[in-house]
Amino acid sequence: MARQAAPARTFIALLLSTGPLAFIVHPSPAAENNQGAQLAAMCAACHRLDGLDKGIPSIIGLDENKLAGMMAEFKSDKRKSQIMGVVARSLTDAEVADLAHYLATRQKGSERP
Amino acid sequence: MNCWTRRQFGCLAGAACLTALAPRVAKAQAKSRVVVIGGGIGGATVAKYLAASAGTIEVMLVEPKPRYTTCFFSSLYLAGMRSFESLTHGYEALAQNYGIKVIHESAVAIDPAGKTVALKSGAKLPYDRLVLAPGIAFKFGAIEGYDEAAAEIMPHAWNGGPQTELLRRQLDSMEDGGLFLIVAPPNPFRCPPGPYERASLVAYYFKQYKPKSKILILDAKDSFFEQDLFQDAWTRHYPGMIEWLPGQFTGGVKSVNVKDLSVKTQGETFKAAVVNFIPAQMAGELAQQAGLADQSGWCPIEPTSFESKLQPGIHIVGDAIQSGEMPKSAFLANSQAKICAFAIAAALTGSDRFAPHLFNTCFTFLAADDAVSDAIALAPNGNTIKISEILISEVGEDAELRRQVVQAANGWYTAFTHDVFG
Repeated sequence: MARQAAPARTFIALLLSTGPLAFIVHPSPAAENNQGAQLAAMCAACHRLDGLDKGIPSIIGLDENKLAGMMAEFKSDKRKSQIMGVVARSLTDAEVADLAHYLATRQKGSERP
Repeated sequence: MNCWTRRQFGCLAGAACLTALAPRVAKAQAKSRVVVIGGGIGGATVAKYLAASAGTIEVMLVEPKPRYTTCFFSSLYLAGMRSFESLTHGYEALAQNYGIKVIHESAVAIDPAGKTVALKSGAKLPYDRLVLAPGIAFKFGAIEGYDEAAAEIMPHAWNGGPQTELLRRQLDSMEDGGLFLIVAPPNPFRCPPGPYERASLVAYYFKQYKPKSKILILDAKDSFFEQDLFQDAWTRHYPGMIEWLPGQFTGGVKSVNVKDLSVKTQGETFKAAVVNFIPAQMAGELAQQAGLADQSGWCPIEPTSFESKLQPGIHIVGDAIQSGEMPKSAFLANSQAKICAFAIAAALTGSDRFAPHLFNTCFTFLAADDAVSDAIALAPNGNTIKISEILISEVGEDAELRRQVVQAANGWYTAFTHDVFG
């Protein structure tokens, strides 16, 4: 996650590197902390965000529309899963969209943060 | 992209950012400090997610033990289906990958006014926010004859570690035909299906190696979680081996005698070969000392931040809290810890907050190839936390589905402990 945020931080660092504010910019280990990331943190209790799952389906790096579609099917019970049905029904469509977008950007082997 | 980054960028791109940023700069330079006491599931998760989601916060984790052994899945170890080592996790990754300062010492006192934590060595740790994850304490002395010394003879094994190993040794050395007696605690207690899962898995072990043995559960309660699932499984897998007696039938356990391994109820005395006495519980000791627990013995919290309702600036997560409809489980401790971490990050750094969601899933083994699960979604509702969705496995499910739950359960353990300690 820190790796994904790096370009923006680098840009800020470049902006500041010659000015009086340069001292405030340090590479930060901070992860993304948006809604998608915070919801994905809840998924991480079962699904590894580095994709190295065993016995549990991996949810990272999928097309976000496909993932959102799967969640809609869990919500309507068209796709059967006791656990995922409960999870999907507790989220709004907007939350699912943010979550799917975030998870789609994750790559295997990358760790949170 | 990071919200923090966007905001910083917007400001930096503005013409007058130098002056406007000055207070934030000072704050960033000072670095807020959060001290987390307790390196179990809740504490380790808070520390990890705070360090991961807010790089401007210094996170210290105070935990005396060098390694943590999970209580969940420990009955698989009792049944010979998992190694003790597989249940044990270190803190190295939290220190190395997340920059958390792990201090292997006991916290002995909290000064909420001075915002410091005193360690056993005499050192004091100042904090901006404190998180307590003290777990549970046992009400020793509530039943005549059952105190800490008695627990070395009649183990509770309700904390992972030496107690779990002691109970395993006792079961190993028990002769075939003996009675294994479980005393099940009153509500609320850690892991509602736990005592009955333990009975199931020890029965699985007995069925293979000590088939003449029996299991008796003396319960303080008159019913228990997933009762229909357990009783169905006991009939199918272990006919005649497990007997459960509700509190209303026995009048409850009144005393124990460690000399002859007997347990006395209102009207009867039971002598056993091995006794697993799981006492009544309350919030961990430090929470009691610091005035964070109310008269119920548990800690009341504000449901969107897990900040104590009794001591502002101190947050509590895990089994020590009691709020609304939350059961006490490792899964929920992890879920609470993330909400708590995001709330603290927002308070200290101004990061964004969103509507909290809490989840709980318990995977429960009935036999080696038969497991069930429950799934619960919860959310803050007014001053408390309520269940919004719940589904539980049902009696009569297909055997293949139950085998799939076993596979999912084992995968979950790996992912979950990685989420906490990895």
